[in-house]
Order: sequence, then structure tokens, then C-alpha cells
Amino acid sequence: MTVPISAIAGLSSVTSVAPTQSVAETAGTASTSGAGFANVLSGIDNLQQLQSTTNDLAVKAVTGDLDDVHDYTIAAAESSTALELTAAVRNKAVEAFNEIMRMQA
Amino acid sequence: MFDSVSSVALQSALDGLAMRQRVIADNVANIQTPGYHAKKVAFEDALSKAVGNGSGAVTAHVARSLEPTRMDGNNVNLDEETLLNVDTNLRFQLASQAMSHEFTNLRTAMRTN
Amino acid sequence: MTIFGAIGIASTGLTVHRKWLDAVSDNLANVSTVRPTSEAAFRQKYVVAQEITGGDGGVQVAGVLEGSAEGRLVYEPTNPLADEEGYVRYPDIDMSSQMTQLIMAQRGYQANAAVVDRAKETYQAALQIGRN
Repeated sequence: MTVPISAIAGLSSVTSVAPTQSVAETAGTASTSGAGFANVLSGIDNLQQLQSTTNDLAVKAVTGDLDDVHDYTIAAAESSTALELTAAVRNKAVEAFNEIMRMQA
Repeated sequence: MFDSVSSVALQSALDGLAMRQRVIADNVANIQTPGYHAKKVAFEDALSKAVGNGSGAVTAHVARSLEPTRMDGNNVNLDEETLLNVDTNLRFQLASQAMSHEFTNLRTAMRTN
Repeated sequence: MTIFGAIGIASTGLTVHRKWLDAVSDNLANVSTVRPTSEAAFRQKYVVAQEITGGDGGVQVAGVLEGSAEGRLVYEPTNPLADEEGYVRYPDIDMSSQMTQLIMAQRGYQANAAVVDRAKETYQAALQIGRN
């Protein structure tokens, strides 16, 4: 014996959506000065750690101690992206320096 | 330049996995041979011990399987060998990806544009 | 759990289902094996599966049990193996239940093989992360 389906209750009226808050002004975008450069250097420290994590995970994966493959591949992707970023920043910095030197001569 | 523990460990792993592939092919070819005992390659435990000691280089060795034999003295299990082949392929892919990752990183660091 | 554990577990499943298939085929092949009443009948084989508790898990064959040795006494006086009263022993195997088991063993084998395929694709997808 089939059970009769109760009529679908009418949708309660959708409450009005609250207006999105205006994006708070980003607290003083600092001009690239001392603060900006320090950030780049700390990124390089992070790179060392990412590389060593990736190496450790690779060895663990190969000796069969790693449970999830994606742990290793994600760490590898993170460390190569960080390395590429660092290399790009370094290259641009060297270019900029050369530009300036050319100006002076 | 390429003699860090992880590089040497990856190289040993690639050697061990290649040897395992050959041994699997050998076992599957001899599946009907009477009296043939399946061969196995084991290197993971030795490798993790070596890495713990800081060296990372091991040579894989071939051992005989001690599984029970069938009537003709053969103890090769076709399902197991086939799936071990799949597993070894995946591991080889992983290890060779890890190796090429190191080279790629070096090249990225060397590039000046 | 080893790194590509699903494949190893499916491998144990494939082995057990194949042994089940072997046992059923043995039973069906011997469904007409006649023995004299002085001997035991052909005994039906049962494969007992048991889960592997340590390590990765999976399944193993705990043992192969044998069915009853009584069999069915059938009156066949013309059979050369018949005793003085004309009876011979047939094995007590129910063909329909064996055919059902055959289908179940085959489906189980196919299911485990499908697990291997899917697991392999999954692991390969994981290995592709971050490659450009």
C-alpha cells in the first residue's frame, strides 16, 4: 500500500538579501619600500622549508611510508611555484638594477 | 650536485622498481612451468633503513616466494602479478616524476630571463 | 595503508574469487562422479573466506571445507560399480545452487577488477596535480 505524499509546503518568502558591505579600504597600501622588500626575503625562507618538505615526502613515498600520493604532488607543486616566484622576482630586480645603472652612465 | 640523500634514494628506488618489473615479466612468462617458484624483489624496507642512517643507497635483491605451490609445483599467482605490475607502474611514475622535479627546479633557478 | 593500497586489497579479492570459481567448477565437473557404496561419495568443496585484520586489510581463504560424504544412493543395477543390491553413490551436489555461486563468484571478480581500474585512474589523477 503506497503512502500518499503530503503536499509540498509553500515556500516561505525569501528574506531580502543584505546589501554587500563595501570593501573596507585596504589599510594603507604601503608603497614598495622597506616593508615590501622584507616580505620578499621572508618568502625565500619559506621556499627552503617547502623544498625540504617536498624532498622528505618524495623519499617517504618511495619507501612506501606515505599514505596519500596527493600529499607529495601538492607539496611538489607548491615548492616549484614558490621557486618560480622567487626566481622571477630576482630576475626583475636584476633587470631593474641594470636599467638604473644604464641611466647613470 | 646530485648526491643528496633524497636524490640517491630516488635513484635506488627507480633501480629497484625496474628490477621488480623484470621479475614480474619473468614470473608471468613462467606461469605454466612445473616446479617454478615466483620471484619477488624487496627494497623498500632496506631503503627506509638506509635513509634513516643518512646514506640512501641500496641495491635491490631478488628472493624466492614461499607461497604454497599448486599441483605442478608452480606457485605463481596471476592476479597478484598483474596487479603488482599496475602498482609498480604507478610507483615508477611517481619516482621518475620526483627525479625530474629536482632537475626542473635547478633549471628554473638557473634561468635569467 | 600503503601508498597504492586499494590495488593490493583488490588483488586479494581477485585471488579469493578465483579460488571460489575453481571450487565451483570442480564441483560441477564432478556432479556425475559415481562411486561404489563401499567408498565415500565425491565431497563438495566450500571455500571459506576470512578478512585479513592486520596491515592493509583485504580477504584471504581461511580454508576449503568438504561437504558430506554420504551422497545420494541411486538404484542403478546395470552400473559396473553397483553393489549386490544395485545401488551406487552419487555426490550430493545441488546444480542450481552451484550455478548461482558461479554467477556470484564471477560478479565478485568483475567488481574487484573494476576497483582496480578506478583506483588506477584515481592515483594517476593524483600524480597529475601541478604538472603543466
